[in-house]
Amino acid sequence: MLLSSPSPAQLDVADELLALLRDSTTEPRPDDQLEALTLAVAADLPVLLWGEPGIGKTAALTQLAESLDLPLTTVIASVHEPSDFSGLPVIGDDPAEQGVPMAPPDWAVRLVKAGRGLLFLDELSTAPPAVQAALLRLVLERRVGALRLPAGVRIVAAANPRASAADGWELSPPLANRFVHLQWTHDHEVVVRGLGGTWPRATLPVLDPERLPHAVDHARRAVCGLLATRPTLVHRLPSGETRRGGAWPSPRSWEMSLRLIAFATAAGSSREVISLLVRGTVGDGPGLELLASLDRMDLPDPETLLADPAGAELPERGDLRQAALDGVVAAVGARPEKSRWDAAWALLARAVETGAPDLVVVPATTLAALRRAEWDVPPTIERLAGAVSMSRRADEAAALVANAPVAR
Amino acid sequence: MGARTAGELDLDLDKLFAARLLAVRTRPYLATALFALHVVESRRVPTMAVDRHWRCYVSPVFVNRTPVEELAGVWVHEVSHLLRDHHGRGDRVARERGLTGPGARLLMNIAADCEINDDVFGDGLVMPEGAVTPDSLGLTSGELMEDYLRRIGLGSGMQHLAWLDCGSGADGLDREWDLGSDGAHGLSAQQQDAVRFRVAQAVKGRPGSTPKGWKRWAEEAFHPPQPWRELLGAAVRSAASASGAGEDYSYGRPSRRSAGVPGAVLPSLRRRPPRVTVIVDTSGSVSDAELGGALLEVAAISRAVGGRRDLVTVMSCDAAARTVHPLCRAEDIPLVGGGGTDLRTGFSRALRTAPRPDVIVVLTDGQTAWPDDRPPCRTVVGLFPRDGSRGGSWVENDPDYEPDTPPDWARVVTIG
Repeated sequence: MLLSSPSPAQLDVADELLALLRDSTTEPRPDDQLEALTLAVAADLPVLLWGEPGIGKTAALTQLAESLDLPLTTVIASVHEPSDFSGLPVIGDDPAEQGVPMAPPDWAVRLVKAGRGLLFLDELSTAPPAVQAALLRLVLERRVGALRLPAGVRIVAAANPRASAADGWELSPPLANRFVHLQWTHDHEVVVRGLGGTWPRATLPVLDPERLPHAVDHARRAVCGLLATRPTLVHRLPSGETRRGGAWPSPRSWEMSLRLIAFATAAGSSREVISLLVRGTVGDGPGLELLASLDRMDLPDPETLLADPAGAELPERGDLRQAALDGVVAAVGARPEKSRWDAAWALLARAVETGAPDLVVVPATTLAALRRAEWDVPPTIERLAGAVSMSRRADEAAALVANAPVAR
Repeated sequence: MGARTAGELDLDLDKLFAARLLAVRTRPYLATALFALHVVESRRVPTMAVDRHWRCYVSPVFVNRTPVEELAGVWVHEVSHLLRDHHGRGDRVARERGLTGPGARLLMNIAADCEINDDVFGDGLVMPEGAVTPDSLGLTSGELMEDYLRRIGLGSGMQHLAWLDCGSGADGLDREWDLGSDGAHGLSAQQQDAVRFRVAQAVKGRPGSTPKGWKRWAEEAFHPPQPWRELLGAAVRSAASASGAGEDYSYGRPSRRSAGVPGAVLPSLRRRPPRVTVIVDTSGSVSDAELGGALLEVAAISRAVGGRRDLVTVMSCDAAARTVHPLCRAEDIPLVGGGGTDLRTGFSRALRTAPRPDVIVVLTDGQTAWPDDRPPCRTVVGLFPRDGSRGGSWVENDPDYEPDTPPDWARVVTIG
């Protein structure tokens, strides 16, 4: 039966239903993109979240603000005018004498009074160009009218990918270079489970004060090690229409990258998180090269391996193991001595006994070629017999293929 | 793996690794990926299969009965599934087209096999017994898994392929033998990307003998090509709505907020629809369908950003008149100009019209001279690649021939 106007009792029932709907639990779940966002915010770098509308960017920001214990201020860019960000002119008694102060909006005043907070600029992409221009000054110079936001305020912006943006929001390369670009995607499983009543609760990274010096050293070695050998990676303007508006490498973005690696290292974050941050800063190609050089930094030092072949710990993964063995052979080639050559053979023998023998074949061939006439073949080489016969077997099969009739 | 009863075969690791060695020797650029695979002995897989965490499940019986040279081909085949991200693409296709069930996944496996098998073998690598190729299904080779999937159906004549199973790494459907994401020796998404990147670098570093399929893969591994419609749309939209054109703030009329701040001059929101001039310059090599599509696209976009029909102007060269005239009539767009194949005259003519356009969109095949100076408005170039000049201009009869590339002040979108 419908009542002409809902009685208070009806509304109470509605409240009860709403309370039941709101009643949900949380479960811990690792969330790489949230962790990356947290680290970038902690590192005080401007972050730009790219993502379709309605996939939980605001919810993520709320969680982030809670965990960082910062009050959250959300500003929807598309409902503001440029003067809301560049300041409203207020004319006093004698403008010629005193000038016209640009008065900031109330949220900015409150932020400055609080001294700290998380400012979320939502829907950057649907604002008119003049508003976007005013906003970028806010993001990059932290100025709202005559006010300067204090250092304790962290800024995150969100934009829709340009394919779905109604008008042509797009960053020019100099602007794009100042942001950490994070692609925000939703996890189907998380959404289904959340609507069923269990939302994820991410455990956010905590910086470990004891690891700070190590983190800085690690990050510097990673970035400098790569750029020293690959000078062309230092600065590369994006070319082509597909890569516009995204991350690209420049000294500035490499510095951001270095800072983010240090933060991620100090927080003990996974390689996945570092990958999101680095690729969001210098772009995919240079980012992947940096990650590859991080992988190489994790490989055991060739000199350590040569010093103690019997107790050497080789990587489990085949490709990394071969990279480590190649490094050892290269080290022997750089300083050829009989004792080092013998140690390398012992190491290869150990590799054959503890893992797949096929990946020892190439390093062994290279090592054999380093032999000097006066060097005797060490007895350890017999332990490589398995690898040698395997190599012969592969040769025979190759010969069979080569001699077989072409048509099948 | 459990206790073995007498009579069951041991996995012949020596043979398996000899085959991998052969695979690495014939395809050195795949070495990183082949070595990154973790071998798991399994009695439940029919042959060899991979999961989405880069584990390779191997049947001892299969290894025993297959010669080394064929096993090498199987190694390359399985690792190709992973490098080409067939499980991720399979999931996406399933979601897009609403495909469910193991039958659809089997088709996906077959389609993925077709994509791999059409150019991965030969040149020292034997195709394994019973491998499915596009030819054997009556399809043209050189296409992608998604395309093959559209063409094939589980009809008669496909049943003999039902034994085929490359695992969850090939089609995204989890198998009961999978160790899952918690199991040991899996590769994380970032590690997989790193391996893919190393292989792509190795392929790009080897000019010449690498099959075309691998070259294409290496080019697109981290930068999948975007549809030109989206790119052209983004370029025109951003040119048409940038400051100076389209919707923006102006001081020409008092702001709604002026009452609140007496004495201050505030800008107000004004709509100034962009004027778009399209210059069509073709030398006959562009198909009417392509040209028509691009022209309609530009008209639709300029309408979407607030332009009116009367603000879209088309200027054509003679060769294209056949298409351009009817299209403009149908779309109610004024057709101006004509004649002259030199793009520079087109530009100067467009800029002479009053009021001047905010955006000039040029549809051309690029075989022309360009103005020396940047025109005083935004320029978007829709470039039709000429036959045979994809991936850089190159003419067979004249290797030194190099047409002018569009200048850097224009935003260039390659169409088609």
